Amino acid sequence: MVPTIMQKRSNLTEKERLLKVLKGEAVDRPPVICPGGMMNASVTEVLKDIEENHNIDLDAMTAAAKAVREITGFENYGVPFDMTVESEPLGAKIDLGDKFIEPRVTEYNNKSIEDIIQNYKVNPRDSHRMGITIQAVEKLKNDEIPVIGNITGHISTATSIIDPLYALKMLRKDPDKIYRFFQFIHDYSKEYAVEMIRAGADIIAISDPTATGEILGAKNFERFAIPFYKDMIATIHQFHVPVIIHICGNANTIIDSLNDTGVDAVSFDSMVNMRFAKSKLTTRLMGNVNTQLLHTGEQGKIESITKNCMDSGVDIVSPACGLSMATSVKNLRAMTEFVKRGI
Amino acid sequence: MNKETILKEIRESLVEMEEEKVVELCEKTLELNIPAYETITEGLIPGMDEVSRLYEEEEYFLPEVLVCSDVMNAGLDIVKPHLDKSSMQEPIKVVMGVVEGDTHDIGKNLVRIMMEASGMEVHDLGRDVPLERFIEKAEEVNADLIGMSTLMTTTMDGMKTVIDRLSERNIRNKYKILVGGGPISQNFADRIGADLYTKDASEAVRRVKEIFGRA
Repeated sequence: MVPTIMQKRSNLTEKERLLKVLKGEAVDRPPVICPGGMMNASVTEVLKDIEENHNIDLDAMTAAAKAVREITGFENYGVPFDMTVESEPLGAKIDLGDKFIEPRVTEYNNKSIEDIIQNYKVNPRDSHRMGITIQAVEKLKNDEIPVIGNITGHISTATSIIDPLYALKMLRKDPDKIYRFFQFIHDYSKEYAVEMIRAGADIIAISDPTATGEILGAKNFERFAIPFYKDMIATIHQFHVPVIIHICGNANTIIDSLNDTGVDAVSFDSMVNMRFAKSKLTTRLMGNVNTQLLHTGEQGKIESITKNCMDSGVDIVSPACGLSMATSVKNLRAMTEFVKRGI
Repeated sequence: MNKETILKEIRESLVEMEEEKVVELCEKTLELNIPAYETITEGLIPGMDEVSRLYEEEEYFLPEVLVCSDVMNAGLDIVKPHLDKSSMQEPIKVVMGVVEGDTHDIGKNLVRIMMEASGMEVHDLGRDVPLERFIEKAEEVNADLIGMSTLMTTTMDGMKTVIDRLSERNIRNKYKILVGGGPISQNFADRIGADLYTKDASEAVRRVKEIFGRA
């Protein structure tokens, strides 16, 4: 038996396996990936031989994407490695991070929403790190390993540009105005996704950590998040590229609405019961190895949680959320190697 | 309009997010010589308590809580200048912030808003706060409680550092320590010797009040 399984396994490239799974086709075992973006594995230990800042420098970004796969065993390339790429051109001040800490917003743009919409024009190809990320996708493009282009959802980008509390209040106080702001961000994010596809991205992954059922409530999620996801996914599908969406936090109240988005796979946080999610979702399911466990846990425990994920029927195994940069390679390998050994 | 009716209307209008109406009603309480203290403790604060309850029951979410808290503050602005200070209980003093290395502050801000809404005096140090700063500020304002939050596993250990430093200086018992945020658990709180962990903002307010016998 063993040789046949090995035989069967070697027939599929990582790219074929992942794309087949996303189409709902049967494969030998689930792929194990870490898409990039908010959920990236460019941890400190992976970056040790990379000199320049992998968040800014094209060669360093490309090298880091390759290093993640080679060193941790995740079966994909994914860029960028943070979620401020889209908010940077709109006047938010960003600390571009280093080998220990991810890029993050240090100061919001305090101009009015109208001012921002009127005064900023974003062309992704010419926009600093969106441009670099598109070029990195171009360089990473290949026949065997899937390249994932990551985008940040419109709500998380909006709340990285302006004060999140103000933005959230606007959902109540001036819903039309904040909707226009979301539309503005969505439009250039969509161009950015298309540019990544043109550059060779095999898959687009969307993370929108501020847009959770817990923060917004199901009604707001359906009103302010879902329509934009639908449009984004429909646009990407025109290029025959599949889409993964990651939902943070407890998603129980919004699971049903995700079925209508047309998305190919949904990724959930560790608090979501994957058997429950599986019973509700009509799309493929990705997840959800606890990231705190990956950071501080023991190898045996990581393996048993990974097994638990696979047993509950996830189609793609991945970390449940953003990884701490202090996560050890040893722990990540415990997860990826367990999946590759097969059930 | 009598006192009971007007206070009830304040509570209800606050929950309904009707800012102008709350402001109008608060002005009316002044005309009717209703003590500011009563308007606050029987109108605005119970209104906000009801908002917390709706939040815990997942009827209200962050946008609604934030708007209600603005309404409450608009009401407070009207009546506070007329407050007879001696009628108020000394508030629970809180120093809080997101620990160094982390800039995620939605959760912390929500806790601050709800604490302020329940009458606590909150000194918000913001986000990415150097650990020593928590101690300095707590000493400076003579705080009752130090609250620390983080969303990242990398910065969790900073909370323990703060607690250890307080112990080293023999001032640990001067303060109650509250910790919270995505990766924090009761187990972690116990391990680092924090007094209190809560999973959300409204529970935090309730438990803090309990700890200080103000429930």
